Amino acid sequence: MNAKKERVPGNGLGGRIINALDDDRLSQFAIPVVSIILTILAAAALLLVLGKNPATAMTGFLRGSGFMMKPIYGGGQSMLTDFLSFLGILAPMLLAALGIIIGMKSGMFNIGMAGQMLAAGFIATVFVGYSGLNAYLAKPLVILLGILTGGLIGAIIGFLKYRFNIHEVVSSIMFNYIISYIVAFFINTYYKDIITRSSRVCSAASRLSITGVTWGTSKLTLPLGIILALAGVFLVKFLLDRTVVGFEMKAVGLNRDCAKYAGVNVGKSIILAMALSGVFGGLAGVTYYVGYFNSIVPKELASLGYDSIAVALLGNISPIGAIFSSILITIFQKGSIYMSSTVGVPKEIASVITGILLLFSACGTYMRYLARRQRERLADKAKKEGVQ
Amino acid sequence: MSEYIVEMRHITKRFPGIVANDDISIGIKKGEIFAFLGENGAGKSTLMSMLFGMYEPDEGEILVRGEKVKLSSSNEAAALNIGMVHQHFKLVDNYTIAENIILGIEPIKKIGGFIPYVDCKGAQEKIRELSKAYGLEVDPCQIVETVNVSIQQRVEILKMLYREAEILIFDEPTAVLTPQEIQYLLDIMEELRNKGKTIILITHKLEEIKRIADRCAILRRGKLVKVLNVNETTTQEMANLMVGREVVFEQEKSPANFGEVLLEVEDLTVRNEDKFDVVKNVNFSIRRGEIFAIAGVSGNGQIEIADAIAGLIKPQKGAIKLKGKDITDESIRRRTEDGMSYIPEDRQRLGVILDFSLEDNLAIKRYYREPFSQKGILKREGFQKFAEELIDRYDIRSGQGAKTTTRSMSGGNQQKAIVAREISLESDLMIFVQPTRGLDIGAIENIQKHILRERDKGKAVLLISLELDEVMSLADTIGVIYNGELQKISPAEELTTNQVGEYMMGVKS
Ligand SMILES: Nc1ncnc2c1ncn2[C@@H]1O[C@H](COP(=O)(O)OP(=O)(O)O)[C@@H](O)[C@H]1O
Ligand SMILES: [Mg+2]
Repeated sequence: MNAKKERVPGNGLGGRIINALDDDRLSQFAIPVVSIILTILAAAALLLVLGKNPATAMTGFLRGSGFMMKPIYGGGQSMLTDFLSFLGILAPMLLAALGIIIGMKSGMFNIGMAGQMLAAGFIATVFVGYSGLNAYLAKPLVILLGILTGGLIGAIIGFLKYRFNIHEVVSSIMFNYIISYIVAFFINTYYKDIITRSSRVCSAASRLSITGVTWGTSKLTLPLGIILALAGVFLVKFLLDRTVVGFEMKAVGLNRDCAKYAGVNVGKSIILAMALSGVFGGLAGVTYYVGYFNSIVPKELASLGYDSIAVALLGNISPIGAIFSSILITIFQKGSIYMSSTVGVPKEIASVITGILLLFSACGTYMRYLARRQRERLADKAKKEGVQ
Repeated sequence: MSEYIVEMRHITKRFPGIVANDDISIGIKKGEIFAFLGENGAGKSTLMSMLFGMYEPDEGEILVRGEKVKLSSSNEAAALNIGMVHQHFKLVDNYTIAENIILGIEPIKKIGGFIPYVDCKGAQEKIRELSKAYGLEVDPCQIVETVNVSIQQRVEILKMLYREAEILIFDEPTAVLTPQEIQYLLDIMEELRNKGKTIILITHKLEEIKRIADRCAILRRGKLVKVLNVNETTTQEMANLMVGREVVFEQEKSPANFGEVLLEVEDLTVRNEDKFDVVKNVNFSIRRGEIFAIAGVSGNGQIEIADAIAGLIKPQKGAIKLKGKDITDESIRRRTEDGMSYIPEDRQRLGVILDFSLEDNLAIKRYYREPFSQKGILKREGFQKFAEELIDRYDIRSGQGAKTTTRSMSGGNQQKAIVAREISLESDLMIFVQPTRGLDIGAIENIQKHILRERDKGKAVLLISLELDEVMSLADTIGVIYNGELQKISPAEELTTNQVGEYMMGVKS
């Protein structure tokens, strides 16, 4: 028999929200939704304080991301252009978040996402992006190089942890620096574009996107990375839920001692998990640097690598959840430029909003507690009224 | 005013899939030791957690000192002078004892009348006084993680006293203690009662109730069976009421029928992290059909012997042979496959993954094989079917069957799950470390029966237990360990309990 929770009497909106927040099944959806609403309210308050119209700002984010029409478009531009561009940057975000999720499920924090992305992007650019290979050879090679580079770095971090007990956060931050400086050195010495001061643009054939498609009057860039990212979601979900390897990774992540006792090869599992996490970092890197931006700014790590941590957390460390959270956070990030130029606030406000969003979703347990308190209070009141 | 200091009326509490407390009414008098007796999962902790404000009852009411109260947090309970020592301690490991005790109600003083600071000196003084008054010796400056469980428990008790608790709830306080420490604790409880405190003791150990409790309420599967005056009843009666059938204290044991030697341990030496030999040149062997028990006071190297055989620690020197094959350097998984089961001492850290479901934990040594998986892909039906079988056969109780999160199960049922898993491996060698610790007599009887059955099936059993009674009633051969050395190995019938006790203390050799 099942314990029946007392429903809050009356079916008002407030009552429904309270019930949903404290429901074992619904709360995992209700809490993010409530967090988002609270974030929007808080952001609106912030914008009001700055003397701006919150509604214009919010629609600004959506317009900038291709979810709503802009009042005017430049030549060859349209809402579809914006939306495809949104998908182009959504792909690395989602891929990186998947890498974070694999790490976290295995009990590790791969904070070196940005470094792994950069390394993979750089290797792919240099070896394929600057070669004259045709698209059918180049694109798969880019993906392969992304997988290998990211995977190798992840594996090294995992190995250092297992063999020498070096914490993955320490080693991956070190790797971030090392990679960033080495890549900067090579770009500045060999691959610099004199005008932009970034690396020379990689060939269209190598990019994980198809450029130059026209549709009506607008010129489109079709992002291929998003297909990779969505396939990745289901792959990771399958890996974690349905495979022996995933079972072992989760066991090691939750209780390393018990996993060892049960006969799991803990070292192998740690190295594998970090390698897989790195593979997704590498894929994020190639879709980011060889597909979306197509060149590399020396000495700069992609902030997307860190935002992906927020995406993973907001999505409740689940691959499916990450789809939604990456869309949400990418809307704020991607739409921020258009928003800031139309509303006239600095685009960094997007990062503030992401921060607020994380703050609220981190309070999920507390929200649930409040909901329970409130419900019990209402139920008590109803009982008393019933007696009288 | 009513004669009761605490009264619980028609209390019902439900959890998903289970009625933990079903219409329970109970009254506790001031200045008595009132015991709750019941099997694991009977609902004792839940009932008392409601008195301590951790849960609120679904139905029913609670009266404290004759007044109806609504306890929705432990702070409210503390305000009514109710304190509780939980089954699993709730201390901050890297804080000092004093800091733990004052946490939440820090005495604040002000420098120069306005800069606030925590008056640690004063607190330490008060703690010293309390410890003296109740015989609870602690050093307030020590860090909690550096002291043993018995002292941690004293800290928990001092925490209650520091908050001026009058009603003290102890949830299975003796489960983690050695026999000597239990003695000491029971003395303290009597002392507390003599000083006018009301004590509620949750336990499933009959001797403890017999020794110190005045009255005793028996719970069974969420229902109140009876409240007894302890001096008017017998342990047998209490046991029968608790389990709901006639309980057998002594296991029937058929005559031994030894086969070939299965496990050989030669010159085993184990060195710990401090480069200290905790196991020294230990030699023994176990035959099929034999229960070899290692008796000893806790911390004399017996756990390390088990860990070394199971492959969790590398021996410094020596050899371990299973069925004639040297397995000293084999991986843990290979040993399992060679035929070794191991029930570890620390069940929550080693034995299970608390955040896994019950079915995952039951399959954790075999998930990579059929019928749990095929070509690296898990087969969930296999997990479920296997789990349901074991749940049924070993009476593992949980709210949502195979899918229950292990963390939400009571400790006793977690233990049953581990035992079930390990026995179901059908290994030739079974290592049982404290297999019945923390279990109620019904479950103990059941598990001991299983151990004997395995022996009769021709398995070799290594039993490591701190309970001398258990060793004496199950073992065919007894090895007594003291200070890392096996003092004496001898057929069980040639030793008396007293002799074993003397070897354990190292007084005889
Ligand atoms: N927080 C909880 N969620 C779900 N079930 C619980 C929870 N706490 C206890 N239970 C279940 O309620 C029953 C009674 O548990 P408990 O009071 O801990 O038993 P006892 O202390 O007598 O061993 C058990 O079946 C247990 O699994
Ligand atoms: Mg309990």
